[in-house]
Amino acid sequence: MIASGIKRGTAELAVLSVLESGSLHGYEIARRIEQQTKGSLRFTLAALYPMLYRLEKQKLIHGEWETSHNGRKRRCYRLTGAGKKKLAPLRKEWSQLFAALKQLAGASNA
Amino acid sequence: MPDWKELVRRRLQGMSLEGDEATEVVEELAAHLEETYQTSLNQGFTKQAAAQKAFVEVRDWKDLRSKIESSRKKEPHMNTRVRQFWLPALFTFFLSQVALMLIGTLGPKVYISPAAIHPRLLPPNTLFLAWLATLPLIGALGAYLSTRAGGRAKSMFSAITFPVVPFLAFVVIGLPIAMALDDHVARALTLPLFLVGFSAWVVFPAMALAAGGWFLRYLLPRSNGSRVTGN
Repeated sequence: MIASGIKRGTAELAVLSVLESGSLHGYEIARRIEQQTKGSLRFTLAALYPMLYRLEKQKLIHGEWETSHNGRKRRCYRLTGAGKKKLAPLRKEWSQLFAALKQLAGASNA
Repeated sequence: MPDWKELVRRRLQGMSLEGDEATEVVEELAAHLEETYQTSLNQGFTKQAAAQKAFVEVRDWKDLRSKIESSRKKEPHMNTRVRQFWLPALFTFFLSQVALMLIGTLGPKVYISPAAIHPRLLPPNTLFLAWLATLPLIGALGAYLSTRAGGRAKSMFSAITFPVVPFLAFVVIGLPIAMALDDHVARALTLPLFLVGFSAWVVFPAMALAAGGWFLRYLLPRSNGSRVTGN
């Protein structure tokens, strides 16, 4: 329960964070997260799309079909106003959690 | 190159999404797999290895299908709170008020004996008891609605005892105001009278309604050999 909650929370933070810089399609989102975390976080298709659809249903992101210069149709996602609002407290929440975990880990190593 | 669209369509066959949604999902996922495949080819992988890299993106298509269905499914018209609490609460309130009105209009007309010790109390008492007798049934109906919507015991009991809330509000808010504004009320209201009124319009009706809910939720399922459970 806790594990899946944490996993989902970090995944949401990762997706919302990469969309902060502009609209991206699903594959780009996965690549961007992988690159920015130097491979620590990797999203497979199976993990990514159910979450994108859920975030879209929550109106935190919005998806729209676009045709790229090579004629390929892609569904691009952008952060909505609600998504931008959600991102700041989410970041704070997670940084607090990670700081607490770091402190715990430090204490147990000491 | 594999036909990604056809592959995804076949794997997600039977996905229950509205309108063109299923087609859109197939197109989107196929585009993702195709891009994974192309990137692997560009990185120097063989066609077979590139296809394999794309295939491992989804290990369990059935699981993915159900995840997509639940994540894209539209919210029900009424949210859970409305279905589990507000609808049964208002339904129970409405029925209890209709019952009170009907009993008042069509109920027994009591002959007031001059010899009766408290003749003034007889008609309201008779009406009140008749109304009280209908409340377990009304409570059970409200409990059924709440339980059917997946309501837990807490939301079910809160919903079915909702009809006493206006009476409770009157006692807690209305009565002190009336006492403050009108001296007659303040003088006429004694503690025993208050307790009788409070029991008659709040405690007993709440107990009668809750008894109906309790019967439906805990006794009936046992006798049927099954148990109603909330989520």
